[in-house]
Amino acid sequence: MAAEFGSRDALEAILARALSVSKADQTEALIAASDNSLTRFTHNFAHESVSERNCQMSVRAVVGNRTGVAASNKLDDAGIIELVNRACAIAKLSTEDANFPGLPGPEDGVVDLPGAFDPATAQATADLRASAVADVAKTMRVYDLYAAGYVSTQTDAFAIATSKGVKRFYRGTDSAINIKAIGSDSSGYAEGFSRRFDDLNPTALAERAAKKAVAGKNPRALDPGKYTVIMEAPGFREFLGYLSWIGFGAQSFEEGSSFMSGHIGEKIVGENVTVRDDFSHPLGSGIPFDFEGVPRQQVALIERGIAKSVVYDSYYAAKLKHRNTGHALPAPNSDGPMPLNIVVDPGSTPLEDMIKEVQHGVLVTRTWYIRLVDQKQTIITGMTRDGLFLIERGRVTKGLKNMRFNESIIGALGRCDLASALVRSESHVLPAVRIEGFNFSSGTEF
Amino acid sequence: MQFESEAQRVLDTAAKLGAGYADVRFGETRDEHIEVRNGVVSSLSDGESAGFSVRALVNGAWGFASSADMSNAELDRVGALAVSIAKASAKVKGHGISLVPSKAYVDSYKTPFEIDPATVTLGERVGYLLAAEKEVRAAKGVTVARAWMDIWRTNKYFANSEGSKIDQSLLQCGSAVHALAVGQNDVQDRCFPGTGGLYQTGGYEIIRKANLLDNGLRVGEEAVALLSADQCPSGTMDVILSGDQVSLQIHESIGHPLELDRVLGWEANFSGTSFATLDKLGTFRYGSEQVNVVIDMTCPLALATHGYDDEGVKATPTYLIRDGILVGYMAGRDTAGTANVGLSGCVRAEYWGRLPMIRIGNVNLEAGSVPAERLFDDVKQGVYMESNRSWSIDDKRLNFQFGCQLGYEIKDGKKGKMLKNPTYAGMTPAFWRSCDAIGDAQSWVPWGTPNCGKGEPLQTARSCQGAAPTRFRNVTVGVAYGG
Repeated sequence: MAAEFGSRDALEAILARALSVSKADQTEALIAASDNSLTRFTHNFAHESVSERNCQMSVRAVVGNRTGVAASNKLDDAGIIELVNRACAIAKLSTEDANFPGLPGPEDGVVDLPGAFDPATAQATADLRASAVADVAKTMRVYDLYAAGYVSTQTDAFAIATSKGVKRFYRGTDSAINIKAIGSDSSGYAEGFSRRFDDLNPTALAERAAKKAVAGKNPRALDPGKYTVIMEAPGFREFLGYLSWIGFGAQSFEEGSSFMSGHIGEKIVGENVTVRDDFSHPLGSGIPFDFEGVPRQQVALIERGIAKSVVYDSYYAAKLKHRNTGHALPAPNSDGPMPLNIVVDPGSTPLEDMIKEVQHGVLVTRTWYIRLVDQKQTIITGMTRDGLFLIERGRVTKGLKNMRFNESIIGALGRCDLASALVRSESHVLPAVRIEGFNFSSGTEF
Repeated sequence: MQFESEAQRVLDTAAKLGAGYADVRFGETRDEHIEVRNGVVSSLSDGESAGFSVRALVNGAWGFASSADMSNAELDRVGALAVSIAKASAKVKGHGISLVPSKAYVDSYKTPFEIDPATVTLGERVGYLLAAEKEVRAAKGVTVARAWMDIWRTNKYFANSEGSKIDQSLLQCGSAVHALAVGQNDVQDRCFPGTGGLYQTGGYEIIRKANLLDNGLRVGEEAVALLSADQCPSGTMDVILSGDQVSLQIHESIGHPLELDRVLGWEANFSGTSFATLDKLGTFRYGSEQVNVVIDMTCPLALATHGYDDEGVKATPTYLIRDGILVGYMAGRDTAGTANVGLSGCVRAEYWGRLPMIRIGNVNLEAGSVPAERLFDDVKQGVYMESNRSWSIDDKRLNFQFGCQLGYEIKDGKKGKMLKNPTYAGMTPAFWRSCDAIGDAQSWVPWGTPNCGKGEPLQTARSCQGAAPTRFRNVTVGVAYGG
């Protein structure tokens, strides 16, 4: 990112101008500035490589208890004035919302996240990404495979100011390498995420993906049924992550559609399961405040198997008379507050030992296209992909053709064991998991 | 044409630095969204965005860069950046990318519409949704009633180093009402029109014809009734799908598998590949003889209709499946040569700042000859399913499982009792081969899908799958609850 793009001074000057020209009773201005690059590869060559830069401001105007939101990336002085005026005008045409508590005021407690911004990652070039692709391709050739995936680096800045005195700024970097190793009848997957691109090792990740593809050759079909399953972190993230959409937020909790509704304080899963939202986890990629500028809290969602809390923004905190946990999404938001940084506490068994303990089961590397079947029962369906294996007498013995599952997330968490090592997968930090009686309903041809 | 000189400046920069081909897109979008939830306007937003992007081909490798800053200095920086990215990619380029020829056009296109949404005041639009939502909430037992509308305007200018200069102005609108009913251990929902609303190209007339006011109460009552309806049975039986559900079935099991970039492995790590491999082109029986599917980016009202795509290719109707046989793919200039197929004008980007890629456009299942109500006639035992609730398919687009909002038992040709949680599953070719009747043109609707995800970084696209209610024989039903 060039020095002038997304700098604190530049963004705060825009915010100050927006607030100064607003005639609304209350005004919130939020800027998201992004400078993102990604190189995609397949058949061991780079087929897409992009660099995208944008800076967008949204203004929430409050007139009485009516609100309106306008957004624009035309952020010269005329653009700012037009944007603010547009937000004010549409706010006046909204309806009164007796539950709207007004914009939140400034609160202490925003913590610093040292290391959130890595200059080297911010300055990473297309050559650096191409070099990583070359490393991956070199490894694939050793195994007579080819790879598809991506190498990405990004810088995101968020700045918020409100007429209530809130003033926040965050700038952070992130990076990722995603590799699918592909053979004639099998595939394997590996991923790495870090705020620092230097932490990622493309060759090591390629080795991991390649070895899975090799081990999965000549896959056999598995009969549908219930199996002991060990799900590695990428698969577990996709499986568990659905809970954030359907039940960990105050909106679904209030309307009664959440599995948490009416069950706070009750044991809903096994005692070994603790699920938190923690923006500050050192492996994670969190931001220390939400999109209203409220300090994010660490929230125990499920603690030792007991439903503890959902997350709140200012609207639902006031409506449900609960403390604001700092989990607002950008306004306007039809989904309500949501946890963005799920952390699952680890267990005590290394993954390798967990596999050794399985007499007959299935190892899942990754899942795909998970969709909700039944919200209240948290039943989801999805497919396995890129590395499904049979476990026999404590050893991974054969590759399997992929399977469809229909399974209750909460049900599965009631019969699970968690591995000891935490890894980051996208925005989640979690271990691998062993689930008993996991329901595979059908198979596919590969 | 606006941006003509800026575009030429970028193209000159790219050429000077070594691009063998380059194109540039300038764009402006304006998105208005209004949503009413339980009597309160929960979302009233008006967003705009403007910027440009450059795509450069150097030594057989692509580079792409975009920015919202349209100053001369930034035009030069981004043009040069796209070339430098392409040069970096050329270090790991494989066999190299080449483009099939495409005619250079100097032209403009504008979405035809009857009512400019700007002539309908915001107050009137809000009032309409408040009234529609009130109808939904009038159904006793509805937990959350919602109504929403979207108005999307896109102005874009495309130019490339081959001489194309194309101005387009697109207008898309959509609206819906939705009811959520929460029971003791159950949550049910209903939406109208279709799965998530009626989204088409055109003006405010699209929103008016959706007729939310006359359907809100019914939608609310159906959501509540589903809480006490019988569970859909499990087994193998005939299924009749509503047109909007067929639309999603087309999207997932015909649209995506026939994107040529997927077939070639360009999406392998994310969206996946396709079972419909190149060796099947021209011979593979994809579906029954009733199944004819065309990509038609000129289709009136369809959500993806435009004049030209984002690499300057003119919209051209192209068959994908004819009489049940696979005969085509959706292709771009950098992939079409591999399969020796034509271009339909389906390469699109989410907005000005994103890389164009092959996207499902208007992928339409042609209407059959059976009046929709006659589809039930010779079904001895089956289920009618309407409007999607859940959709999942494997990464080669074979094994699928879909759930619908509403079901009805079919017995001896008659629609019977309401069923909740209807699901069906299958393998794509076997399922389409089991299609034995398609509703006629009277029941055919170009259903829009406003939220198709693909690509990395992830892009959302607006597609359409025109469809009528359709009958399938011997389908696996109810497996989702079988565990």
